[in-house]
Amino acid sequence: MASVSTPARRAAAGSSRRAGFRRAAATDRTRSGGAGWLFATPFLVFFTLFLIVPIGIGLWMSFTNASLTGHGDGTLVGLDNYAEAFGDSQVWQTLGNTVWFTVLTTVPLVLVALVMALLVYTGMPGQWLWRLAFFASHLLPVAVVYQIWSMLFQPDRGMLNGLLKIFGIDGIAWLTDEKYAMWSIALVTLWWTVGFNFLLYLAALQAIPDHLYEAAALDGAGAWRRLWSVTLPQLRRTTGLIAVLQVMASLKVFDQIYLLTKGGPNGATRPILEYIYDTGFTNYRLGYASAVSYVFFGLIIILSIAQLKIFSRRED
Amino acid sequence: MSGLSRRGLLRGAVYGAGAAVSASALSGCGSIAGSVRSADEIEYWTLFTGPDGELMKTMTRNVEKRVPGLKVRTTVLDWGPPYYTKLAMASAGGRSPDVAIMHLTRLAGYAPGGLLDPWDLDLLAEFGLKQEDLNKTLVKRSLYQGEPYAVPLDTHPFVVFFDRDVMDKAGLLTGDGQLVPFESPKHALELMDKLRRSGGTLGPVFGHANDAAMGWRMFWTLFSQTGATFDLTGKRAEIDEDTAVEVVRFMADLTRDSRTMDVQTAIAAFANGRSPMIFSGEWDMATYKATLKDKLGGSPIPTFYDRPAGASDSHALVLPHQDNPDPERRRRAHRFVAELVRSGLTWATAGHIPAYTPAVSSPQYARLRPQSEYAGAAKQLVLDPPVWFAGSGSDFQTRMCQALDPALGGSSSARSAVRTMVSQINTLLAQPNPA
Repeated sequence: MASVSTPARRAAAGSSRRAGFRRAAATDRTRSGGAGWLFATPFLVFFTLFLIVPIGIGLWMSFTNASLTGHGDGTLVGLDNYAEAFGDSQVWQTLGNTVWFTVLTTVPLVLVALVMALLVYTGMPGQWLWRLAFFASHLLPVAVVYQIWSMLFQPDRGMLNGLLKIFGIDGIAWLTDEKYAMWSIALVTLWWTVGFNFLLYLAALQAIPDHLYEAAALDGAGAWRRLWSVTLPQLRRTTGLIAVLQVMASLKVFDQIYLLTKGGPNGATRPILEYIYDTGFTNYRLGYASAVSYVFFGLIIILSIAQLKIFSRRED
Repeated sequence: MSGLSRRGLLRGAVYGAGAAVSASALSGCGSIAGSVRSADEIEYWTLFTGPDGELMKTMTRNVEKRVPGLKVRTTVLDWGPPYYTKLAMASAGGRSPDVAIMHLTRLAGYAPGGLLDPWDLDLLAEFGLKQEDLNKTLVKRSLYQGEPYAVPLDTHPFVVFFDRDVMDKAGLLTGDGQLVPFESPKHALELMDKLRRSGGTLGPVFGHANDAAMGWRMFWTLFSQTGATFDLTGKRAEIDEDTAVEVVRFMADLTRDSRTMDVQTAIAAFANGRSPMIFSGEWDMATYKATLKDKLGGSPIPTFYDRPAGASDSHALVLPHQDNPDPERRRRAHRFVAELVRSGLTWATAGHIPAYTPAVSSPQYARLRPQSEYAGAAKQLVLDPPVWFAGSGSDFQTRMCQALDPALGGSSSARSAVRTMVSQINTLLAQPNPA
């Protein structure tokens, strides 16, 4: 009986424990004086210099007509840049591309990673080989990924069209046809990055206590029942984490698109980050580029908060 | 032992680290200052890599040997948008390199904003480089408000390379080994069909897929040959859209064997004999020469429409803006550039056509083949429209190529490509000039 604790008792114990930590932390702080700050200083200096200050300068610039060429600096234009951004069809188009890419990649990157992890975890022989094979592509730098896939996608001599030809299907212009380009990029991204999510899932699977499966087996649950009622609910927290990380990573897509299609054909794969880059660094309009960045920054923050809220509610 | 307490050791380590950091920062500053400004070296930024880079290095070394006391410190940066970003930022900061290479078409985005300083023509003449010895079209383009802001080193046009043997067999060469003239686009297409039949190979190839310049170069070449309106001086573009559509259609028909070819594949197709003819930049001459040897022929882009024209650009030398230029360094920069431009003949071995006309008309140049065969391209060159957003490595060229690519690949119509091009140009025209 002594081991049974009611929720109220658990909460009380928890709060007293927390209060205890607080007290201990307070005394510790007084004792150690400035040492903590001293150790944190190098980080704080870099954090301030290279994150806080640029964020502040960027925000300021977004209200000016600053140019990379040093002209127009400091001339406040108020909300003009933001007004232009909201009326700029390129902003909407590239934002649409970015969101479309995020949709195309997030779902498979969660599902495929889960399936891969389950396959490896549920006793396929030669586990080390599968782990290596599934994770290996994640180790490649983006330039190598670009080299491999630009050859595979090559319409005349590429392997993918070669395979299609065997089945009597005409070649596809993978990267130069507006209909297929974004799908092709999504395919590359899936191949390249799925290994990381796979690893997170594998770690989560290994952390599920065996006794849950034993208890389920004793209750007569079959393999599918154990998957649905034990494994997947236990993975919920990891799925939430992967989904949040994935959405943010996909929204920030740039490298593989810049290398494979430069945003083409016809702007069909141009993400908003490339538009910001082109506006700021190729066309030198830093003020306007900053404003577009802040619009995008705001969107990422809103999405992340919403996503975290959704998943934390599920946790409750 | 008491002196070696844990706390004392930590404190000592912190002080030690602090001293080391500040010492290295100080010495770092010293070395940075030393690397940027050295009294006897002039700083030179280029964008040449590969064989061009090696050749430029040799030319610079030769100038140093010829001129006692002149030392040049070359910094090679990757060409394209990053190069121009760095150059603009260095110039805006006022502590830029003494001399830099720049594409002449980018001048319109640099000179008006005060990012460049003008050249002193008298000083250049003192060192043997007179303006009348330079290609006239390029000189005209190097002026801003009457002042010379660039000294052209070369022009690097879009040209045609071909396999002499195959072309001759197909009856596409004249008695003296020149391309037969094309009377019209229709005539050209007929001859290309003849070429395909006789050689049993691909027709002319052209690598444009996923490229940020090639599609535009070809379009601009052909469109300029029509002489139709392409006016970007106003708030909205005035472009003869029907002619543009016709040109895009012709581009697709002419290179129907290479509809989805990227540049590398097209180069490979030509170099390994799958195609006997390629529309290409002359900068790839060395690659073709290595495999085709004496069979390699070259020509300016043929005149398909009403007048000769070929898209081109020029590597030019500029003086990035400095707030307080040192007169002695400026003088040496002029000396260096005069010597470099007069070494045009060496530069021509890479395939580029020297801007220095005495080099082009020399007997040594005539012996350079196929360079001398396409040298006529320098007389028919057309550069990008002189607007701030155009030029080599610009967002404008990328956008034009992306608009053209689906039409060239056959997945959309020429009309829709032209509509996209015009609307993209209007978007850029509506933006304020940041310089």
